Order: sequence, then structure tokens, then C-alpha cells
Amino acid sequence: LEFIKKLQSIDSRIIYAVVLVCLIVPMLFPIGIPLSIAQNTSSIYEIVEALGPNDRVVLSLDYEPASSPDVHPQSVAVTQHLLQRGVKIIYVAFWEAGPLFAEGLINNYTDQYNLEYGVDIVNLGFIAGRETAIRAFGDDVLNSAPVDFRNNPTASMPIMAGIRDAKDIDLFITFSGGSPGVLEWIRQVKDVHNIKLAAGAVTVSVPGFIPFVQSGQLIGLLAGLRGAAEYEVLSGNPGSAASKMDGQSLGHLAIIVFILVGNIAYIAERRSKKSE
Amino acid sequence: VNFVRREIPVIITIVVGFMFLLNNLVTIQVGDMSLATSVRELSTWVTIVSAFAVGLASVNLMRIHARNVSRQRDRWWLSVVLIATFVLFTFVGVLARTYNVAWAVQFNQKLFDNIQTPLGSAMFSIIAFYIASAAYRAFRMRSLEASILLAAAILLMLGRAPIGEVIWNQFPPIANWLMNVPNNAGQRAVLIGAAIGGFATALRVLVGMERGHLGGE
Repeated sequence: LEFIKKLQSIDSRIIYAVVLVCLIVPMLFPIGIPLSIAQNTSSIYEIVEALGPNDRVVLSLDYEPASSPDVHPQSVAVTQHLLQRGVKIIYVAFWEAGPLFAEGLINNYTDQYNLEYGVDIVNLGFIAGRETAIRAFGDDVLNSAPVDFRNNPTASMPIMAGIRDAKDIDLFITFSGGSPGVLEWIRQVKDVHNIKLAAGAVTVSVPGFIPFVQSGQLIGLLAGLRGAAEYEVLSGNPGSAASKMDGQSLGHLAIIVFILVGNIAYIAERRSKKSE
Repeated sequence: VNFVRREIPVIITIVVGFMFLLNNLVTIQVGDMSLATSVRELSTWVTIVSAFAVGLASVNLMRIHARNVSRQRDRWWLSVVLIATFVLFTFVGVLARTYNVAWAVQFNQKLFDNIQTPLGSAMFSIIAFYIASAAYRAFRMRSLEASILLAAAILLMLGRAPIGEVIWNQFPPIANWLMNVPNNAGQRAVLIGAAIGGFATALRVLVGMERGHLGGE
């Protein structure tokens, strides 16, 4: 009975150590567990596949370093796919850290895809004002961001030519670490201008956004790191997210094993008490 | 004094609130002036006020931590680290963004990529270990409700992690059903309830009945 009691209160440090091993070992020695693709991921992939070199997409990087392990790999995977299709990318952010993530992406891919800043890609920077700023951006893009993150006037940029409001942009994807994010984009831009909107979100927020996918207000939804891994696999660019999936699998398995052990011990103790 | 402090903010709230509300419903144009243009202009004001709020918060943060250091409060040296980091990031950020100094632009990006992002990521990642420990302690079959919650959690974990599909290929469809049916129904109920509550509160603010945001009752 003593042993059963112990199984119900395993030291936290043992749990931490087991989870740590389960996360690190597969990163060092990948297992290659196959990954199926969710419908919500392939919806975004198909929309991007249908875009061409004259199309413009707004990527709203609404996250911070804390949520970036879950969301930034999504931005990387989608950016790479868009650039492969020759689609023009307009980055904007309603969270302060967003523009620096955008700068990192632009710097990484400028040489690889021979990008011309202001023609193929632009970073509009951070716009303060949370939900109101998102609405203002949808209503009047240039007036909301008269200069870009590098202090260049946006009105004279070829990539911004002919853009008045959100309707002049072919696709919006918001990568969200919280609020303002997906919900604000839906109610202030999607519903007002009837645009195409997709989203990427931290895993814990995903259940809350499912009703908007079913209603058609979101045309697709990338669910955390797994969503990024699925997109990497779909677009033929397996990268950092896909390589972390084995670790996530074993981590989940370790948690399930601990839960089962705790419950088996709990039931065994209850039965032995009843029999006494 | 009371009129200036209490009634004028309420009048501003009512006028601006109805302008935004009407702009969603009708188009009003009088000569060169239009409601849509005015609302757009007001939205820009919000951006400017929000930018000032960020500045005000920064000044406040510095005041609090400068006081911690000057009075040598508990762990005052952490405030020194915060102030030093704040000054460094601000100095490099202003040089990079306002004056476009080449070395500062690169250094600013390096600070973000190599200090701020890994630190933030590390904090977020620690949650995984706490969740593992908390799930082990909290998920016990103490009642029928707790057992249902436990079963849903395990099925969802197995359905979402790639290894679940290797164990049994029916785990992902079960997880999808849990997300799309019971979860969706619950989320919709919460969303619709919150929306109706939000609408009622907005109406009370618009007609001046709700004054909590002005510091009143």
C-alpha cells in the first residue's frame, strides 16, 4: 500500500526530468513519426497555392517572444510558401515585437528569393491602438501606416500601389499570440470588408476559434507548432517545426503515462480501503 | 466642476459612440464632410493616444524601479538590471529606428533575436513542465465528471500528437469530433453569451447609464 501511495505523489522533479528527456532525445535522434495533415491547414495551403505573382498578402504578426515558439514557425512556413509562389508580402503588426520578427524574415529570405524591398515585400511596422488600430488599418491601409518600419513613405511604394482599404488585398493571415488577434481581425476587418482571412494561433487558443472556422469566417487555421509542422510538410519545406514533432509526441506520451499511473494507484488504493 | 468632470466625458462618449455605431449602418455625407472620414480620423487619434500610453507606462516603470534602487528595497539589484536593459534597448532602438544608424539597426535586431526571443521562449517552454506535473496531480477519476474530463484530455492528446495515430488510426478522428462537436457547442454558447452581455454593456455606455470607465459607479 505504501508503494501505491507513493505512485500517487511522484516528486515533481522526476516528472520534469522524464519530460525533459522525452523532449530532448528525439531532437538529437529523430524518430520520424509520420504526420497527418489537418483540413484546417490544407485549406490555407490551397488558398496560397491559388495565388500568383501579382497578388498581395498581408501577414499580421501579432505575437511576442514568449508565444513565438508556437506561432513564429507558422509565419516562417507560410512566408516561405508565399515567396515560392512569387506572391508579394505586406507585414504589419499590432503587437510591439511583430516588426522585429518581420525584419528577421525579410533579412533571411532577401538573397534566397532575390527580393526587392518595397516591391516584393514590405514591413509596415507596429501600429498602436489594438482593436481600433486593426479597424483603422482595414478601412484605410495607407493612412494607418504612412511610413514603414524603415521610415520610408508607403504611398510611393510599388507594392502598395492601388491599395485603399482591405478589399484591395488578396488574402490576410493573422498569426496570433493572444489579444488583439484573431477575434479582432474577424469582427473589425473580415466581417466589415468581407475579405479572405486565415489565422495561425497558439495551441491553447485553438478550441476557441473553431466556431469561426465552421462558420466560414476563417478560411483556415494553423494550430500551434503542429500546424506549422503540417504546413512545412505540405509545402515541401520541412524545417524546425517538423523536427520538433517527435519530441512533442513523446512529451505527450510521458504525460499520459504519468496520468495513467496516478489513476491506477488511486483506484488500487480506493479498492484496498474498501476491502479493509 | 462636476459638469466638466462628469458630464462632458459622458457627452463625448455618447457622441463618438453613436458616430462609430452609425458608420457601420448608414452612409452620411454633407458636402465635403462624411461620417466615414470623421470616424477614420478618430481612429487615427486612438493610435496616437495609445502611443502616448506606451510612453507613459515606460516613464512609470522607470519611476517605480528607480525608487526601488534609491531605497534599496528587497532585490533592488533586479531593478538595476531592468533599468540598464531598458536604457540599452531604448538607446539602440532610437538610433536604429529614428536615425537609421547602420550598426544600431543590426545590433537592435541581434538584441531581439539573441536575447529577448530566447528568454521569452524559455519562459513559455517552462509551462510544459508545470503542465505535466499539474496534469498528473489534477486528473484523477474522483467523480463521473472528472472521469469524462480525463478521458477527453487523453483522447485529445493522443489525437493531436503524431504518435497517437501510429498507436491507433482512429485517435485523430475522435479528437476532431471532440473539437468540432462538444467543444464547438460550448465555445459558441460562451461566445454568444459574451456577445449579448457586451452589447448590453455597450448600450449602457452609449446612453450614459454605465460610468464605470470614468471612475464613477
